[in-house]
Amino acid sequence: MHDTSDASSFRHQGTHPPADQHSPSATVPALGSASADAATAALIAPARTGISLTVNGVRHRIDVEDRWTLVELLRDHLDLTGTKIGCDRSECGACTVLLNEQPVYACSHLAVWADGADVQTVEGLARDGQLSPLQQAFIDHNAPQCGFCTPGQLMTATALLNTVPRPDAEQVKQALVGNLCRCSNYNAIVEAVVAAGAYQGGAA
Amino acid sequence: MSAAVQPLTTIGHVTPRVDAIARVTGQAQYTNDLKLPGMLYARVLRSPHPHARIRRIDTSAATRLPGVRAVITHETAHVVWGAGAVAGGRQYNDAIKARTRQRRYIFNNPVRCVGDAVAAVAATDRHLAEQALALIRVDYEVLPFVLEPEAALAADAPLIWPEGNLCLDVDNNCAPVVSDHGDIAAGFAAADQVFTQRYDTGFVHNAQLEPRCALAHWQGETLTLYTPSQGIANCRHDMARDLGLEDHQVRVVCHYMGGGFGNKNQNQDADLIAATLSRHTNAPVMLEYTRRDDWLGMHGRWPTVQQYKVGVTNDGTVTAIQLIGYSGMGPYRKNAGGISGLELYACPNRYRSLTPVYTNRTTSGNFRAPSEPHGVYGIQSIMDDIAYKLGMDPVAFTVKNMLRPTAEQPFTNYSLDACIQLGVDQFDWQARRKVIPGSDAGPLKRGAGFSFMMFRAALGTSSAIVHVDAQQRYTLFVGVTDVGPGAKTTMGMIAAEALGVPLSHVDVVSGDTDRCPYSVGESGSRTTIMTGMAVVEAVQNLQHQIAAQGMPTGNDVLVASATPAPTTAGKARQCFGAHFVEVEVDTRLGTTRITKYVAIHESGRIINPQTARDQIRGAVLQGIGQALHEDLLYDPASGQPLTTGYYRARHLTHLDVPTIEVHFLEVDDGYGPFGAKTIGESGIILAPAAVANAIFNATGIRMTSLPMTRDKLLGALA
Repeated sequence: MHDTSDASSFRHQGTHPPADQHSPSATVPALGSASADAATAALIAPARTGISLTVNGVRHRIDVEDRWTLVELLRDHLDLTGTKIGCDRSECGACTVLLNEQPVYACSHLAVWADGADVQTVEGLARDGQLSPLQQAFIDHNAPQCGFCTPGQLMTATALLNTVPRPDAEQVKQALVGNLCRCSNYNAIVEAVVAAGAYQGGAA
Repeated sequence: MSAAVQPLTTIGHVTPRVDAIARVTGQAQYTNDLKLPGMLYARVLRSPHPHARIRRIDTSAATRLPGVRAVITHETAHVVWGAGAVAGGRQYNDAIKARTRQRRYIFNNPVRCVGDAVAAVAATDRHLAEQALALIRVDYEVLPFVLEPEAALAADAPLIWPEGNLCLDVDNNCAPVVSDHGDIAAGFAAADQVFTQRYDTGFVHNAQLEPRCALAHWQGETLTLYTPSQGIANCRHDMARDLGLEDHQVRVVCHYMGGGFGNKNQNQDADLIAATLSRHTNAPVMLEYTRRDDWLGMHGRWPTVQQYKVGVTNDGTVTAIQLIGYSGMGPYRKNAGGISGLELYACPNRYRSLTPVYTNRTTSGNFRAPSEPHGVYGIQSIMDDIAYKLGMDPVAFTVKNMLRPTAEQPFTNYSLDACIQLGVDQFDWQARRKVIPGSDAGPLKRGAGFSFMMFRAALGTSSAIVHVDAQQRYTLFVGVTDVGPGAKTTMGMIAAEALGVPLSHVDVVSGDTDRCPYSVGESGSRTTIMTGMAVVEAVQNLQHQIAAQGMPTGNDVLVASATPAPTTAGKARQCFGAHFVEVEVDTRLGTTRITKYVAIHESGRIINPQTARDQIRGAVLQGIGQALHEDLLYDPASGQPLTTGYYRARHLTHLDVPTIEVHFLEVDDGYGPFGAKTIGESGIILAPAAVANAIFNATGIRMTSLPMTRDKLLGALA
């Protein structure tokens, strides 16, 4: 309903794994059924899978529970709480991270699907204590109000600027349509992303 | 009266937020980002029925699940949630606690709406907690339910409370709230024409992006509560009363929160449930609400039915205004259920009867200007209608009839005429308005609408502490939280201006009841005025000390505080606004597109022009969402809520959003900190009325129901 526009390369990658990656191995136990004991055992010691991934340039090898989402992995097990959970069901975009340079809703992407992936979060935008031009533009244009959607807006906008270095307002709106802001500071966010393109002088 | 504003050094200049870097780097810590050693995760089981009595709850299987540390229900946790039902929007206090007959608990039996909390689980892992919920067996006796306010008042309606479905007030009275000015009968007798119209408005969620959560941690007899709160002082009082503690035993902390929009200047049930689970488990407990939990928890704007009757003379003078209104409060009366707007007119004969009603929908809370946008939509729709029926320009009709200062009721200043005139010019009202509504040929029809308001900018009590050390570093302690408007920055700017130092010399400490004095809380758009005045006076007190003693040396500090209670000596203090909007309605699809929006505001002196502008822009967009999309629909057959999320309630996205033009008329009326007034709430008041009036001007169709969705528009156009 929100997104009736034509496909663009900045579209969130949805809730399904890439075709070339395996699906989670555990099946969901039927609670309260005859196999309740097995179900309970599965709850206490759920299936784990070893994965490796790179987050903000740092390589991690970690056993993840197959039920963990990527945002849980980042927030609870890698201590990267900058990525937020607003809805946990692909509605709001607060959890957006870059997975192999594409924005994804990390609430709807299982951690096991990120095996081998390169992940970028809001904590990785500043380099050597230097804010990215986009972060600086967000400050200059008051793009965060409550700030809860800000990490997601920043990540989707980063993906846009990587591909379209000087977007116009309409391109920004198209790219960010999957990132809600209930403070409704949309005008300022768009102004900030457009300005960031200008700061970068057209270079990605 | 007012004087033009004199330029200042810090105030009035675009200033980045003092915490801006933390907000763009992911370093800002929100409640759910916190972790404490040994922390448990908690989840809440909720009623699937709109109305049911719980016969039995079997928690044995859930309790046996390894890793589950506590399961609590109405049988084991009998905790009053006073602020969840204080009967009329008043701050919960000891007197109300003592006398109210409307007891709300964290778990209630019977459950009275889908989503009423039934049980809660704390476990070592959030997935375990979720699975434990599925193991709780609840035996419900399903009861009849009622969803609509008028139906709930019928003689044979299901009773939601033993006293009946007309809400109790704080004194346990059970009667419509009537305000009666002048002589309404004489007013109608003096009219040449009398118009009547019924309007209804939907339920609007605050829908703040951060779901409710709470981290509670008992250490001995002291509770520390990390929670997204708009009012840490109020939250602490509420927690202490509900849990039978002294205030000093409760510490409430909130450094960042993901929006509030009015719901959170009291404690939340999540706070009490987390605290109770922490008590039971002797461990820190992080209670996380899911988006659906949050959606069905206490929220925003109550649905209303508004029946208007207005008398006018043939020259366009309003002689009588009557409103019979009903507000659907859900099963607990968290708030007043107000419908404002009549008081914007000078007409002396005004009668309003307001009936807040219990229903089996989710509880209505507070949402940005709680009583105003839906009421202003109703009254300014019928007034707009009357203007066209009399052949008048709605602006001219308004200027003839709007409230003005009188000898009996003087104002500190008055800017409505100036706001309206500036808006007429900036918007080019004469060119954009269709003299004959609906006169565009073809399926795409444009039209223009207008609305106006004033909103309280009252003075009041708050506190501040400021100290200075020998390094000439100033530290300001204020009990504000930053919901989004930028209170930390605003308070710092006021202090810097009053001190005559750069903002970079001032540290602002906020959001912690152990460190900060009382602040009124981020509601009523009062922080800048009330806590800002306390900052000004605390600085003055500090300056007196410095003048007497000199600056501190060595390890000394000078400390000053203030708790002023300023008044306007009987004058009304208001902010003012006028909004002008042009819409394009596609009569084939029923869609409405905003093609121009101009918002004019007089909010006194503007402290930080950028954050002030964005308060208005964001508020206008929320108002457009209320006008066109947002509603919590229920299935009348099952009592189930249907639109429990962002997609379903159709909140605005980047692609739905027009550019909002904001103009501030700056004045200094001599009150408030450097003349500052109210901003945050005032911006949302006018969009529903202005958009509705523009749709009428474009189509010739008067939309009498909010939101003005595609299906309603197509139905009206058919």
